[in-house]
Amino acid sequence: MAPTAKIMVVEDDLDEAKLIKMVLEGEGYEAVCAFNGKEALEKLESERPNLIVLDVMMPEMDGFSFCSKIRSSPENKNVPVIMLTGVAKRIHDTKYPLDGIMRAEADEYLEKPIKTEDLLQAISRLLK
Amino acid sequence: MTHPSAQPTNCWDYLACDYGPDSPQPCLAAYDEASNGINRGTNGGRACWEIVGVLSGSEVLAPCAQLQNCLACGFLHLVRSEEGQSFQLLKLARGVSNPEVLQQTIVKVESFMAIHERLRSHFDLNQTIAEITEEARKVTGAQRGSVLLVKGTPPALRGTLQLRGKECEVVIGLDRNTAAGFAAIQNQIVNLRDIYNTHRSSGGPAFSREYDAQFRCRTHSFLAAPIRDSEERVIGVITLANAKKRFFSTDDEWFMKNYATEVALAVEKQRFVQQSISTLRLAAIDETIAGLSHCIKNIAQALRSGSHVIKRALQSDNLQDIKAAWEILDRHIERLANLSMDVLAYDPVVREHSNGGSLNKLAEHVINLFREEARARSIELKLDKGKNVDPARFDAMDIYRCLVNLVSNALDACPLSEGVVCVSTSRTKEKEFCISVSDNGSGIDEKAKEAVSKLFQTSKPQKGAGLGLPTVAAIVNKYDGRMEIDTTPGAGTTFRISFREDLALA
Repeated sequence: MAPTAKIMVVEDDLDEAKLIKMVLEGEGYEAVCAFNGKEALEKLESERPNLIVLDVMMPEMDGFSFCSKIRSSPENKNVPVIMLTGVAKRIHDTKYPLDGIMRAEADEYLEKPIKTEDLLQAISRLLK
Repeated sequence: MTHPSAQPTNCWDYLACDYGPDSPQPCLAAYDEASNGINRGTNGGRACWEIVGVLSGSEVLAPCAQLQNCLACGFLHLVRSEEGQSFQLLKLARGVSNPEVLQQTIVKVESFMAIHERLRSHFDLNQTIAEITEEARKVTGAQRGSVLLVKGTPPALRGTLQLRGKECEVVIGLDRNTAAGFAAIQNQIVNLRDIYNTHRSSGGPAFSREYDAQFRCRTHSFLAAPIRDSEERVIGVITLANAKKRFFSTDDEWFMKNYATEVALAVEKQRFVQQSISTLRLAAIDETIAGLSHCIKNIAQALRSGSHVIKRALQSDNLQDIKAAWEILDRHIERLANLSMDVLAYDPVVREHSNGGSLNKLAEHVINLFREEARARSIELKLDKGKNVDPARFDAMDIYRCLVNLVSNALDACPLSEGVVCVSTSRTKEKEFCISVSDNGSGIDEKAKEAVSKLFQTSKPQKGAGLGLPTVAAIVNKYDGRMEIDTTPGAGTTFRISFREDLALA
């Protein structure tokens, strides 16, 4: 358990982002939000999160593109990523290019609607 | 028609292809010396369609004919216009010098062209079959013609026959004892003449005179050609019959064979169209479901997270978090309600009536949606359609929402046994219609009646009254309509809502 860890929530739906932030703060984490992959990339440098909770379908830059970018960045490649997706069980059937998906290896995939307990357990496991 | 003095254009020149006589790999039309001179061409250069094209009677060999239908090719039409009455189109016409016979042949082939055109534009199989039958009848000079397709249980040759201006249904068993059945089973053309004076040869096809007796006609000569699909399975027969003492020629057989092919194409096209429509529908449904699923998942996600935050905040009396989460939940509940309305907008009946039309049909549609629920709860659901209501001007979505809410409330108000809900429509003024929904429940008390009435007295959106009535009130007010409630404790309630048509689509 790392209650002081900082978690970045990357989610384009303002309400969902706010609720996940509240859930995380309720558990003692520090949470910051970004509303698309591009904004998240810009914030990475200043925020230095310990873990990223990432949505897949977002405007500007989707979750796969964002994830493949941080996986190729020496400073951030080891930051754990939990990807929240509506298509986790059939990820290869999606419209996203397969090579992008392959390079965007997340540490955990959770299918929406996620159970809050599952998200908290995954975070706890990855921060150990 | 005067022929130009210069050497006429051959197909390879017209199409500028690489398969002319001087090419290393000439097309068969280019070196078919047997066809030299036909339509004044070099070898088969002006009769290509019957040598290597779609009228060759065998395999289509020329690359150009594999790409398009010769009957639609500009070259065929050019040669025909240049040659006039000397034009030779088919092997059947080869060597025939009688201009009248040539002209007849052209007329017959033009009938194929017409059918091809129709096949390209028609989706209606029955209409296309009727047209092919009529063309076949006309070009062969037969009095009667029909297309009989193998269908039904037990499988039989089924179709219709025009007799004395009336359409008669024909069913012929798939057995060798009838000429049509024989053609289908043996997969061969049957051509019978002088039927009433010729004895059937053993094992050969024979015309069953029972059919003449059944249809009160007389058949002197009869021709049946099997219709084969692309996999060479017999799917029916095309038949011609003549009462006059005439026989069907080998030319007629040739044409019938080709008309049978046209019918097979029409049947296959119909199948293909149906499959395509079905595939498109499935794809559209798939896409819609995927979109809906995504939207519902997002809403469910917010509800789950919101519920978690509120539970936790309740434990610590954190009112600020409860308020923040509740506001978000409230928005998502609204999204869910809007989503259900968006789904309703895809209802085909609602779409059909988007600009008004039949109020009774829309009411019937809503009633049918609740039919199953009413049956499960032993409630009788009735619809009393007003006589002068239709056509009416209304916004289908709005009326639909009113009806759904009122019928749903009425069902809930019904007693546990012997419940009755009645929906009725009526025209109250020239430009005003009324919908009433009544139940035989316990009725509503004065206080509740007053609360409901208040909803209809303001144009501001109301919340929290439940039962979907705020939605109904907002819609009624939008159209400057009226709402009346008749309620008798213990006997039931009737909601009557009236709409002005001149404002319905404003």
